[in-house]
Amino acid sequence: MKVPIRMRVNGEACEDDAEPRTLLVHFLRETLGLTGTHVGCVVGECGACSVLVDGALVKSCLMLAVQADGCEVTTVEGLAAKGVLSPLQEAFVGNFALQCGYCTPGFLMASHALLARNPDPTSAEIRQDLSSNLCMCTGYVQIVEAVRQAASRMRR
Amino acid sequence: MTGRHVGTSARSKEAPRHVTGRGRFVDDLVLPRMLHAFILRSPYAHARIAAVDIDEALRSPGVFGVLAPDDVRRDSKPFKPGRYAAGLRVAVPEYATAIDKVRYVGEPVAMVAADTRPRAEDALDRLGVDYDPLTAVTSVEAAADPSAPLIYEELGSNVAWEGHVAYGDVDRAFADADRIVRERLSIHRYSSTPLEPFACMAEYTPERLTIWCNSQSPDVIDEAITEALGLDRVRVIVPDVGGGFGQKIHLIRKYAVLTALMAVRTGRPVKWIEDRSEHMMAGGHSCDQAFDVEAAVRFDGEVLGLKIRDTDDVGGSVSTLTIHFTNKLNNLFNTYRVRHLRLEGRSVVTNKCPVVPNRGIGKPGMCFIWERMMDAVARELALDPVEVRRRNLVRGNEFPYTTPNGNIHGSGDYQALLDRAVAKIGVAEVRARQREMRREGRLLGLGVVIGLEPGGRNAARDMAIFPTSTQMPGAGGVEGATVKVEKNGAVVFTLGSPSCGQSHETTAAQIIADALGVAPDRVSITGTYDSALSPWGVSSSNSGNNFHLYDVGAVHGAATRLREKTLTLAAHLLQVNRSSLDIDAGVVSSRTDPNRSISFAELGKVAYANQALLPNGFEPGLQETYYHSHPHADPRMLPDGEGRVRAQYTFSSAAHAALVEVDPETGRVRVLRYVIVSDNGTLINPGVVDGQIYGSAAHGISVALGEGFVYGEDGQLLTLTLVDYGKSTTLETPPIEIEHYPVPDPFTTLGQKAAGEGAAIPSPAAIAAAVEDALTPFGVRVRHLPLSPERVWQLIREARP
Repeated sequence: MKVPIRMRVNGEACEDDAEPRTLLVHFLRETLGLTGTHVGCVVGECGACSVLVDGALVKSCLMLAVQADGCEVTTVEGLAAKGVLSPLQEAFVGNFALQCGYCTPGFLMASHALLARNPDPTSAEIRQDLSSNLCMCTGYVQIVEAVRQAASRMRR
Repeated sequence: MTGRHVGTSARSKEAPRHVTGRGRFVDDLVLPRMLHAFILRSPYAHARIAAVDIDEALRSPGVFGVLAPDDVRRDSKPFKPGRYAAGLRVAVPEYATAIDKVRYVGEPVAMVAADTRPRAEDALDRLGVDYDPLTAVTSVEAAADPSAPLIYEELGSNVAWEGHVAYGDVDRAFADADRIVRERLSIHRYSSTPLEPFACMAEYTPERLTIWCNSQSPDVIDEAITEALGLDRVRVIVPDVGGGFGQKIHLIRKYAVLTALMAVRTGRPVKWIEDRSEHMMAGGHSCDQAFDVEAAVRFDGEVLGLKIRDTDDVGGSVSTLTIHFTNKLNNLFNTYRVRHLRLEGRSVVTNKCPVVPNRGIGKPGMCFIWERMMDAVARELALDPVEVRRRNLVRGNEFPYTTPNGNIHGSGDYQALLDRAVAKIGVAEVRARQREMRREGRLLGLGVVIGLEPGGRNAARDMAIFPTSTQMPGAGGVEGATVKVEKNGAVVFTLGSPSCGQSHETTAAQIIADALGVAPDRVSITGTYDSALSPWGVSSSNSGNNFHLYDVGAVHGAATRLREKTLTLAAHLLQVNRSSLDIDAGVVSSRTDPNRSISFAELGKVAYANQALLPNGFEPGLQETYYHSHPHADPRMLPDGEGRVRAQYTFSSAAHAALVEVDPETGRVRVLRYVIVSDNGTLINPGVVDGQIYGSAAHGISVALGEGFVYGEDGQLLTLTLVDYGKSTTLETPPIEIEHYPVPDPFTTLGQKAAGEGAAIPSPAAIAAAVEDALTPFGVRVRHLPLSPERVWQLIREARP
């Protein structure tokens, strides 16, 4: 049995049918083809699948697609406006804040949510906040640096 | 040897696609009529497979195929014991699934494929397997007991291999010693847990079998499928890979074979994606290793010799029987000028996950031995631990330095690294603060260690340990690259090797930009690794720090040849002497007559499209392929009579200083500062190198602080998730400080040395030293990893009167 699901994803109206047991992350990736959102653990521990649902940071492996019915969803594909990298994306590129890129969409979404809430976080606040996500490559130093740099550019 | 672009933190070429969600990983790919596969895994650590019933699963909705152990035995050949199993005394056939017996929890038993992911997963529940459970053997002590159940009956013992290497005159060193310092040390099971688990997608047509696979070593996949399925046309494509660290070198071949087998059987493309808990239980672990060590020392702290007995718990497979032993040859003497050493090894099979390469394989263990022993020697002789190291370091004027087992350290300044690390962490201030804090009952500790990061490959190393081995493992390395000027003047290149996040495109483009005289933004990679298109060789493996030696050499060689060809064509078209030409920003111009110049775009048009304008005998096109082998691979590429052989070819080095505070009530260790002074030779892209150092240091620190696999006595893995496993987050990982102190290697293309897994090698020892120093008031010795809060709390408790 499938049920219809409607949501706005990155500003675009999307509609499709899915089994009620379908996770939001699988709906985004497999039904809508938005493969930028990654699966690293599927139990809410790694944060690679982080997206925004009605502006709130959500691990999309912990949410059913039906729960996001009628919601506004933002994924990593929605961060660059008309192909221009956001200051956060640009700072990740410029600071070597990623290596394999698998955790990156999740870190960007989590950092995006942090900066929306706190435009001038300290390094300690960034580390506190991003402890929701895991990266196996970078040792986090350049990620923290990128978020700080993006924050300072966005305040200007 | 830096240039206009080599030596700069040039902008990442890989990052823009990843920050926009345009990375392409295996699970992002979809083929028409594709099936989704799931694997049924053993719930037992040790059991006989009595019966497998697949009928109900086959009737399950949407199911197109099931592979049971009998199918795998009938339709595929077992893996050959490769070089990781050197020393195996009886050939043990190992298939992609368990056949008669399961030997670890999570061992693959069967595969099912259905038209959707949920339906395939549903069908798993309908596969019926009857097991006859056997007693699980979960420690080396239990396994080595003669009355223990045999994990491999054909071996006659769970001690599957014993052997040794010895260099110098160890007996005399011990006879001459003022004191013998003894320790029993150990290092536990861990993994770099790449965030993207294993992933395979296979398609079979009569022309070829194509597999998309996130393997670090395409040759392993190619060989596995070719041999297991008896196919001679296999194409391996490696798209973006979500981290490797060694995990994706070996066991992934089982899944590639199963996915390929399912594609052949069903006639449809098949995708299989591992999940996190599967990877934790069966993706492979680094080895738990126990070391009985004796050091022969003089009263002044000089170490005359070392004797080590290394016991490796290799888990439920013999396919990687000796890798944690053989890799100790790569940094056998660490940074020290000690001449006498004996290393005995014992590999014991147990009912745990097989062991695999992981950020240095046996090298973190070897470094742990040396660095813990240096601290033990200092303590027993009441000397300063940094002084004891200084006394034993290879001196700056001794390079190139040949170790007693034949490694040649091309360049280095170990003394300077240590001095700078000591200065940067501020030892005097730290000691003052430590005294002050101790008065308040607080425990501050400092650890200073030094280690090597070897790079490059030489499988002939194993011949030194296993001279009777009938299988010649190959020697040295080969890797290719192609560089091309396109018709429009753009420069594209193809590497022979896949990348797992080490910025190969960025780095290679910088080298090409300098060699050809173009801007890096005009240089790009042709695409992902594809065995049908990539000029690959045995070193086309994202492992062993191969890139810095072989890919850099190949890219540089191809670009240099292409520059020559470009100049030849330009000289002909401009009617000037070739030697008067320069290239800058993609324009070739004459130094003597600035009016004579020609752009790459104009040259490209001629080279591919206008035969009339080409010089006589000029091969059309502007494309060069170059295969690189290390030109200084000799002497001792092959072992000599004393078993001396080059285990690897370049030796980066670094001193690490860790400052920690231990909470005496909870045992929690907080890393306050972590300083690294590193010699990676010529830095091609400092931003990239920093990233490699930060990442590998963070992992080694996390290993020391408590991440690791824990088994119950019944062989059940208790750490199936990343949180249970204890991976450090941004909160536990300290802000790591790096100081570069590069000493270019005289034997490599640009003076470069390895920069990858290196900081994961000394960092466990640095944390251990710092925690021991912090616990000085309790007289505690730190011999075993990990230093989880529970373990540290226990150490304090046992020491407290």
